[in-house]
Amino acid sequence: MARPSFFGLLLIAPALTMIGALFLYPLGYSLAAAFTEPGGSLSLMHFQKAYELYSTDILFTLFIVIVSTILVALFSVAIAGILTLGETPWLVGALRQLYRWPLFIPFIVAAQCMRTFLAKNGLMNNALVALGVMEPIQATSFLDWRGIIITFVWKQVPFVTLMLAGAMASIDPATIEAGRNLGASRLRVLIELVLPQVAQTLLVGLVLSFVTMLSVLSVPMMVAGSQPTMLTVDMAFRINSYGDYATANALGVISYMIAGTVAWIYLRHNVKREAQA
Amino acid sequence: MTGSHSAAIEVSDLQVSYGSQRVLHGVNLSVAPGEFIAILGSSGCGKTTLLRTIAGFQKASGGAIRLFGRDVVNTPPEKRGIAMMFQSYALWPHMTVLGNVGYGLRLRGVPRDEIRSRVASVLKMLNLSGLEERKVTNLSGGQRQRVALGRALAIEPEILLLDEPLSNLDAKVRIQVRSEIKALQKQLGFTAIQVTHDREEAMTMADRIVVMEAGRIAQVGSPEEVFDHPNSPFVASFMGAENTIALDVRPSGAGVEVRAAGGSATTWTGTAPVGGVTAYFRDDVASLDDPNARIEGSIVLPGTITQRTYPGGHYRYVVAIDDRHFTVTDSAYHELDRPVRLRLPLASLHLFPTEMIKGGNHA
Repeated sequence: MARPSFFGLLLIAPALTMIGALFLYPLGYSLAAAFTEPGGSLSLMHFQKAYELYSTDILFTLFIVIVSTILVALFSVAIAGILTLGETPWLVGALRQLYRWPLFIPFIVAAQCMRTFLAKNGLMNNALVALGVMEPIQATSFLDWRGIIITFVWKQVPFVTLMLAGAMASIDPATIEAGRNLGASRLRVLIELVLPQVAQTLLVGLVLSFVTMLSVLSVPMMVAGSQPTMLTVDMAFRINSYGDYATANALGVISYMIAGTVAWIYLRHNVKREAQA
Repeated sequence: MTGSHSAAIEVSDLQVSYGSQRVLHGVNLSVAPGEFIAILGSSGCGKTTLLRTIAGFQKASGGAIRLFGRDVVNTPPEKRGIAMMFQSYALWPHMTVLGNVGYGLRLRGVPRDEIRSRVASVLKMLNLSGLEERKVTNLSGGQRQRVALGRALAIEPEILLLDEPLSNLDAKVRIQVRSEIKALQKQLGFTAIQVTHDREEAMTMADRIVVMEAGRIAQVGSPEEVFDHPNSPFVASFMGAENTIALDVRPSGAGVEVRAAGGSATTWTGTAPVGGVTAYFRDDVASLDDPNARIEGSIVLPGTITQRTYPGGHYRYVVAIDDRHFTVTDSAYHELDRPVRLRLPLASLHLFPTEMIKGGNHA
């Protein structure tokens, strides 16, 4: 069993080569480039430049992604909760049919739709005016940070809900009934009995969503104006307008670090759980 | 049995359907306070549905459920105030024993210290003292079962529903927990309904047994009544009288004359339906006798022993009479392939007109 097999290595060689050539090499190269001066010696000058130019955007990115993740968590828990504990068959049925649709729409299409939906004279404001909810003069454009968050949440809620509803469906339904039998309302059952049993799945879904939202270029580019904006847009701008790969790489490393922090929280939680079990 | 105003649980004309398929066809049942009822039936007879409808997890499509006179048929399960124990135990794996047992008290706003002391006394009662901080996933099957019972009892319920609570335990633990539940019920005085498919469990635990068949109640009565005087062929065979034999009954003088195919006629002073009759009997009712024996009040049939097993304490034989086979329990050892006489005391047979069985309407 433990004997290294030449044929085994041969079998995985194509996959290893692909990972090395297409992922590890560019990653290592951009990491190295981020920490290297034009002369060739190590330095943090690119990070200094990135910080001077884009510190607001770093905070803006963090703000957008964190707020979106929190909202995604709230909405997906609510929808998965209704799907699991709902007692109105037509509502549960309709929700089950509808909630998945955004999964199949690419970010760029979602962003395009949001442009026409959230603009000052967009569908949302026109509908609100037509309904008499507000005056035309009160209409404002949502095509700023709010638009980005709305698009991200709209796009990511189905993904996390899909995972969460699946996990909730696989827990023993008697554990839900036992709670209600002792007198817990459905909301308490959801928060105190169901969520803790699927917390792991929720965490995985949120970590994956967080990293996805951090790396989307099209949405901040199309939905919001240029200032402030997210790091992906800044990176594209550094490369396309100035050919400034070094600063773009430094911004990339900052993105890695943000994503890495979230991954670390997830792994730490996993290790703690395994130690408890 | 009891007046409607004093019944702990009164189910009247309860109907339940899954979609267009009716599962309960108008069930009537009255349970007195402090009574232990066992609902007995085979899979799919509606016994679990009846229990879940009383608990509120299944909607009734007609009829009423009254708990101490209060109609709860449209009340959600959390407002019915009934405790229930589940077949899978349904313990919450993310909580400790204390968290599980104390949850009902927490919902009732009991202060933390009091929850601790009340949970401690419940655990003491169930021989689980000191396990408060243990994760429920680290308990044995028997311990989990007791925690589930403790969780139901911690809220001091007036009514406890048990859904096959012992079916996941091994035989030895099951007998032990069976008597523990019964003792606790006597001590605490709650009303209990237990669903089971285990006849012995129902017989040993319940004050009254409800036998269900195809969404209807077939018979209600004390264990002795249901066991000794089944009111239908279904109840008779469900209670273990699985041997059947066709008899012919004719009036004769003060009693009746009973004749089986291939046997001599016997006169009997007991009461029996006249005409074509099917007799149901358990294997311990019949006995094996000397080929030449002739006993009053018993049917005696010549046959051959074809199989012998020893389940412990007595022998179990398969006796062939013509092309029919009967199982018989007898304490004596008999050789195989030996001609014997199968003796069936008429007083211990359950006799039903054959017409009734053919009609199929024996509920």
